[in-house]
Amino acid sequence: MFKMSEYSFIAGVLSVALALGCYVIAFVAARVMHQRTALAGAGAGGGTVAVDGRGGVNLGAYGTLLVYLGLTFLTASLIFRTVATGHGPFANMYEFSIAFAWGTLAMYAYFERRYHQRVLGLIALPVALAMLLYAMTIPATIDPLVPALQNNLLLSVHVAVAIVAYGTFSVAFAAAILYLVQGENGRRGLPSRELLDEISYKAVVVGFPFLTLTIVLGAVWAEVAWGTYWSWDPKETASLVTWLIYGSYLHARVVRGWRGERAAWLLLLGFAATLFTYFGNLFFGGLHSYSGLNNQ
Amino acid sequence: MTQTARTQAIPRTDRELIDEFDEGLAVSPADIGERLWHFFISMRTGLVLILALAVLGLIGTLLVQAPSGLQANPQAYATWLESLRPKYGGWTGILNTLGLLSIFGSVWFKGIMVLLMTSVLACSANRAPHLWKLAVHPRTNMSESFFGHAPLSMSAVGSLEPLAAVASVQSAFRSRHFRTIVNEDAGGDTIHLYADRFRWGPFGTVIAHLSLGLILIGALVGSSFGFRNTGLAVSVGSRVDVGNGTGLSVEARNFTDSYYTNGSPSDYASDLVLYRDGKQVDAATIRVNQPLRAGDVTFYQSFYGAAAAMKVVDGTGRVVFDQGVPLEWGSDDGKHRVGQILLADAGLTVYVVGAASGEVDPQIRPGQMQLEVYRSGSEGTRIATQIVTQGQPMKIAGLEFTFVRERQFTGLIVARDPGAIFVWLGAILLVGGIALVFFFPNRRAWALIRRGSDGTAVHVGAIVRHDVGFEADFKCLTDDIKRALAGPSAA
Repeated sequence: MFKMSEYSFIAGVLSVALALGCYVIAFVAARVMHQRTALAGAGAGGGTVAVDGRGGVNLGAYGTLLVYLGLTFLTASLIFRTVATGHGPFANMYEFSIAFAWGTLAMYAYFERRYHQRVLGLIALPVALAMLLYAMTIPATIDPLVPALQNNLLLSVHVAVAIVAYGTFSVAFAAAILYLVQGENGRRGLPSRELLDEISYKAVVVGFPFLTLTIVLGAVWAEVAWGTYWSWDPKETASLVTWLIYGSYLHARVVRGWRGERAAWLLLLGFAATLFTYFGNLFFGGLHSYSGLNNQ
Repeated sequence: MTQTARTQAIPRTDRELIDEFDEGLAVSPADIGERLWHFFISMRTGLVLILALAVLGLIGTLLVQAPSGLQANPQAYATWLESLRPKYGGWTGILNTLGLLSIFGSVWFKGIMVLLMTSVLACSANRAPHLWKLAVHPRTNMSESFFGHAPLSMSAVGSLEPLAAVASVQSAFRSRHFRTIVNEDAGGDTIHLYADRFRWGPFGTVIAHLSLGLILIGALVGSSFGFRNTGLAVSVGSRVDVGNGTGLSVEARNFTDSYYTNGSPSDYASDLVLYRDGKQVDAATIRVNQPLRAGDVTFYQSFYGAAAAMKVVDGTGRVVFDQGVPLEWGSDDGKHRVGQILLADAGLTVYVVGAASGEVDPQIRPGQMQLEVYRSGSEGTRIATQIVTQGQPMKIAGLEFTFVRERQFTGLIVARDPGAIFVWLGAILLVGGIALVFFFPNRRAWALIRRGSDGTAVHVGAIVRHDVGFEADFKCLTDDIKRALAGPSAA
């Protein structure tokens, strides 16, 4: 099972890398074609240009296919890992990084189906790929659970819920980046700012309740294992900061002067806080030091 | 947000001027109240406060924070502060003075928290009546011009009678789980229809915001009326009073720490027995994820260490102490573990010092403990320092001390938190409220059905904000209505 998990993981990494390659080429090709038509003055090629090569090989469609394939492989990898370890695949940095990538891919796939904006993948897939490459640098050995983690139900649910939140925040981040790159005039072949704004918002609308639930479940677990529902552990605090930033984003959208660009910046800040929450325990220790990276 | 500043210059003739201070603006308490109210219900205020809280939280993760309860012990706190000097240098004192080293108890944090909660409560109070009105007494009639400007709208003319048209519009909404309210104009030629779905959804914001207050109340109640002892060390074979008004004492029958083959811990388990007034009331094995809950007091497994079973007999042969002494403190150099015996009758404090695990001390060999005997109360008057060997009684200060054997102690957290129930209730309401807002979006639509010269005109319109699902739904819905309106002949 352990071997199967490893093979699936590698296959997943390759699929995601190839998917990203397809998207990049398709996007560049579409841009070039668009510019040529514009130069030739033939046909009003206005509006948004989807990442969709119109040549003989539809690279965009292959990219999407590869995203699904990567998602399948990573799902298989996580399932095999669960069977091999006997607990949810969320107990150390290796497992959690794969899960993070999985969450990003899954949420990207969901939003792609809903909004048909594969250009989001140009940002979301690198995030997932970076997480996977990071996982590749960590030894995949299976270590038994230390006493604090011996709570299979809460381990699985607390972290699984966090994965969903992190995944949606990756998508919101992708849309926010594109929003800021897009500029006022929408000249860069990207979706309209309104659409990007809406995608970000929808992603946070899904992610925020899940982040809330993650923190609440964390508090429940902390009460059982550490004797108090809140102890200002660095990871707890970082997750609270993340929650506050996304909370402020949700409020910012109805405040004049905070909509649009400032809200997009809040999303970048929120994603930075998400990554900080994710990696924070590596730098600051605290109660969440389960990364498996400090003991040899 | 306040646009109506009612402060105005008071005409000079009205009153006597004492000095130029009276020439300026006069502000009445009502004005101040109104300004404050507008300040607190402003979303911008809330936004800035949330961000300020986030900044403080960030500081709290970046700077080392004082362990909780440390401030109660000034000496320990000073030592801890000193240990930060290599890291923060000259900034240590400044950071400490600003309260940034215990930021979550600082005036900054508490102040912003109070302002934020005031804002949250004011916003909720300000918004709730409006939401109530929208849900219970919605505006059902819209003029024709509304349908011309609504972000989502549809107009069609059909051959159906107005009443039949209303029925078809109604059924189109109802099949999508909308509530409909029909309102006929006096003349009977114009019929207004209002439809909404998830009209209680917006109350999620009120619930979520108020739940934050509940969580805060829970935290306050917990810290005011509860207790939390994070360091109750109980030597195996000994019984210790829990104190804090619980009337409980806890005995550790056994403690086991187990390890995996790779050396990492696999289990810490303590067999505990609880007594109240000398009678056994509970017994359980606790583990890290398995606390013992006895009424409102909970016992958690937290730490463990070595203990020394000590026996002290006085000159008359009476046993004055016979218990395990947890060596629960480390010495400054980290080479020793220290425990304490208080002999109230003899007025003595005895420190039991053993070598820390893995450390070799030529003075204190395995099977030995060093006893340091002080006169209680007067700091620094050491009476004697002696090494005792296991099983060999030794006379010190008129008492006979015996180091019986080495044991282990289990370290417990004991807590009673009467506020926890509010926190959990708040947490449930928070998640529920947020889910209500985002997963059950309130959708509202209006229709106007009017008999005209060329048939029955139907206008349907809706106001949407960030609701893609509704846009798609609206299209399907209006398509249905158009089809129905065209009459059976078109089907």
